[in-house]
Amino acid sequence: MGLEQYKGDMEMCCRCSACKFIPMQKVKGHQYAYVCPSISRYNFHAYSAGGRLNIGAAMLKDGMKYTDKLLDIVYNCQLCGACGVSCNYAMDMEVLEPINEFRIKCVEDKKTHPALDKIIANLKKQGSMIPGAKGKRGAWAAGLKIKDATKEKVDVLYHVGCLTSYDKNLQKLAKATAKILQKAGVNFGIAGDAEMCCGGRAYQMGYPKEFLNQAKKNMAMIKKAGVKTVVTSCADGYQAFKVLYDRFDLKGELKVLHISEYIDKLIRDGKLKPRRKVEMAATYHDPCRLGRLGEPWVHWEGKKIPGDRFVFDPPKPYRRGANGVYEPPRDVLKAIPGLKFTEMTRIKEYSWCCGAGGGVIESNPEFAKWTARERIEEAVSTGAEALVTACPWCEKIFNEAIKESGSSLKVYDIVELVEKAI
Amino acid sequence: MALKKDVYKEFESVVGEENICDDPAIMPAYYSNKFAAVILPGNTAEVQAVVKLCNKHKLVFRPICTGWSGMFPPDIILMDLRRMNHIIEINEKNMYAVVEPYVISSQLQAELFKRGLNFCIKGAGTNCTAMLRGHGHMDQTTSGDDRNHLAIEWVTPEGDIVRSGALGSSDEWFCGDGPGPSIRSILTSAVPPGVTPGVFTKAAVKLYHWPGPSEFPIAGHSPKYVLSEIPANMMARYYSFPSVEKMWQAEIGLGEAEVCYELMGFNAAMVAANITTCNEEDEAMFNCLNKEVQGPGFFVIIAGNSPADFAYKKKVLEKIVEEAGGKSLKTLEDPELEGIIMCQCIRISASIRETFRPGGAFNSIPIMGQRDLTIKWAIGAGEAKKPLIEKGLIVDDGGAFFGWGVEQGHLGKTEIFCKYSPSNPTAKAAVETWQREQNRRAFEERYFASTMGPQDEIGPALCNYSQWWSKVVKALDPNGVSPEGGSLV
Repeated sequence: MGLEQYKGDMEMCCRCSACKFIPMQKVKGHQYAYVCPSISRYNFHAYSAGGRLNIGAAMLKDGMKYTDKLLDIVYNCQLCGACGVSCNYAMDMEVLEPINEFRIKCVEDKKTHPALDKIIANLKKQGSMIPGAKGKRGAWAAGLKIKDATKEKVDVLYHVGCLTSYDKNLQKLAKATAKILQKAGVNFGIAGDAEMCCGGRAYQMGYPKEFLNQAKKNMAMIKKAGVKTVVTSCADGYQAFKVLYDRFDLKGELKVLHISEYIDKLIRDGKLKPRRKVEMAATYHDPCRLGRLGEPWVHWEGKKIPGDRFVFDPPKPYRRGANGVYEPPRDVLKAIPGLKFTEMTRIKEYSWCCGAGGGVIESNPEFAKWTARERIEEAVSTGAEALVTACPWCEKIFNEAIKESGSSLKVYDIVELVEKAI
Repeated sequence: MALKKDVYKEFESVVGEENICDDPAIMPAYYSNKFAAVILPGNTAEVQAVVKLCNKHKLVFRPICTGWSGMFPPDIILMDLRRMNHIIEINEKNMYAVVEPYVISSQLQAELFKRGLNFCIKGAGTNCTAMLRGHGHMDQTTSGDDRNHLAIEWVTPEGDIVRSGALGSSDEWFCGDGPGPSIRSILTSAVPPGVTPGVFTKAAVKLYHWPGPSEFPIAGHSPKYVLSEIPANMMARYYSFPSVEKMWQAEIGLGEAEVCYELMGFNAAMVAANITTCNEEDEAMFNCLNKEVQGPGFFVIIAGNSPADFAYKKKVLEKIVEEAGGKSLKTLEDPELEGIIMCQCIRISASIRETFRPGGAFNSIPIMGQRDLTIKWAIGAGEAKKPLIEKGLIVDDGGAFFGWGVEQGHLGKTEIFCKYSPSNPTAKAAVETWQREQNRRAFEERYFASTMGPQDEIGPALCNYSQWWSKVVKALDPNGVSPEGGSLV
């Protein structure tokens, strides 16, 4: 079916431009009203979700007419889903799905982006999203006495993710996570060198086959290990296991939690007590794939009811971003003594993207950093000294943008602050 | 028709390489046309330079803001004003705000609320430009149309910059009529066959006192934002009446008493659309409300400046409604729903949920005139919708229409929609026929002359004004580069 299944949705777009802004009730002034990085940066309507849907509808009708500009539009989108939330406040139609399908169609037609091709080639070869990564995937855990979940029975599998495993600057997140879980007495393990890429970012880049290949391998390993619960510290990993695996009927009964949810639970259960003061003013950035795109998948199959209304039998449940993971990370931060928590204007389901998603950090790093700088400016405007996130990809792009801009803002993953507090 | 390379270069030298594009891939994003190029000017000087180049090369141009609607011939230069998105000034003392075309109403309103001010939000929604001329939910207190445009900066079709009203003789924006050139009839023309040619690059909009909070206390997640509490001294209610005559009696009484911040002649279908989060919920709610109402009705927001003012307004409202036999819709007295619709009508200006969500498209007949007269016409237009509803061509809204008073008076807006699927050509054709027939009826039965009515008949009946307008346009646009038609939404 591909793009064809979204014909009706694409034709529903009335070019109202709601997709460019945060939901109207949440607009607090002239600043920070925009929500889509792509249209904000490139300005032509074609870079907005409405523009993309209208292009999709036209090309579905008249055939794909590839130009360099079209591919520029297609690949300069983080697929962050903010457009869909703003549209779906008022409209019943799919927004992100047809945009994603359009990219998949480009890849099928071999209209790929060379930087993304390189990433996918590496994924096929080495099973990771990090070309040029050296050393073993589980090397960060040396000496930490962490169980090997492929050999020992554990209650929780900590899926570390590619970036945290291989990036020397981010391995501290894995170590902090392990320390927190050990402190709370959780019977957990990692897959170490046997861990594989979740495949989620391959899906965002437009490579569903490569994603499915990874997903199947991961689920086979999990099944073999007898693991019932997976905890991830990466928002992409969380969305892959929780949403995409479920969408493609691979997840089964596996329980998937993000580390922020798990820490929140451990604090509530009294197994983890943040006692040390962490004196700082901090604001929280909702990673797209933990927040609005982390909303559980809803299985649905139906047909449009012929007639005047765009309704389906059975009624179609739209994922509008309301059920993402928003409160657990906030509750964890609020539980840290000394931490003064502030909110930005664009939060939760209408959060501004960090810029790293959809392969943009690889295909157009300048645009990714531009997007990150917008967020950094917003964080600074709250008076915060630190920007806290819950995904290594966010931390990476924020730090790169800060390095270039000279901002004094500090960036932390939530596990780093919890580690300081326990 | 592609631009010649040297012509393209001339435009590019004005706006920069990043801000011009003639790639066919981007065109469907705008409209189903192949434009010569899309250009993104960043300021008035660039607009002027682009317009002069259009004259030099005899290229037709059209400007757009957020791009919600408009008429766009093929092969034109499309001027997307997106980069012109600054609030130039909010003058609290003289109560006006100066904005560029791509400031949306939601942005300006949020800034104004912080200052205890508000402005006329047009019915197209707060997602549209704040410069838009038209009508909206708060017309009862904020008026509508050209009343709210003060001084305007206008790039004429030939590329001259004209500053109207006070701006023509000073750097002040407080008045559209002077001291300086008052060319209101030209600058705000929405009479058929079109709107003002050229480009509005800045406009001052009139501001009004806002008795509500500096920010609504919104809780929850999209699509169900609720108010954590109803703001102090505010209330929203829907009243239905035993007859149109009784409804009109109450409407005019409330206008004379000047107690309503908003009086919107919603029908049950529009109330249902606004308080629900999806089509299925909407349909069920409509069926429920349809049973609850006793007849036609309206939605009211009152906003007091103090507890005493609020108590007075509430008492007057209830007395006038009671005298007309009106009944409050109990469903909407639920504070959650009351808060939802209050915020919808003030912060969103309703619109998308009630127009596009059900079917994906709608055609409308909007009219400005004597409310009691236009209501009589609308009843007939509503009856004429029913066969289309029965055939399943348009969304069932009970054949309803809607409207509201402007400036607390007899004058007002009346409008009627047909909502349908854009994928259904039969429905589209039937709706267009209905539209033509009802516009013709309005003219023939002397209710009003619609802007969408038969121009060849309306013009001669009204002193051939359309010919005069065409002469004015010809004088303003001798090269014919700025076609009429379409609104700046």
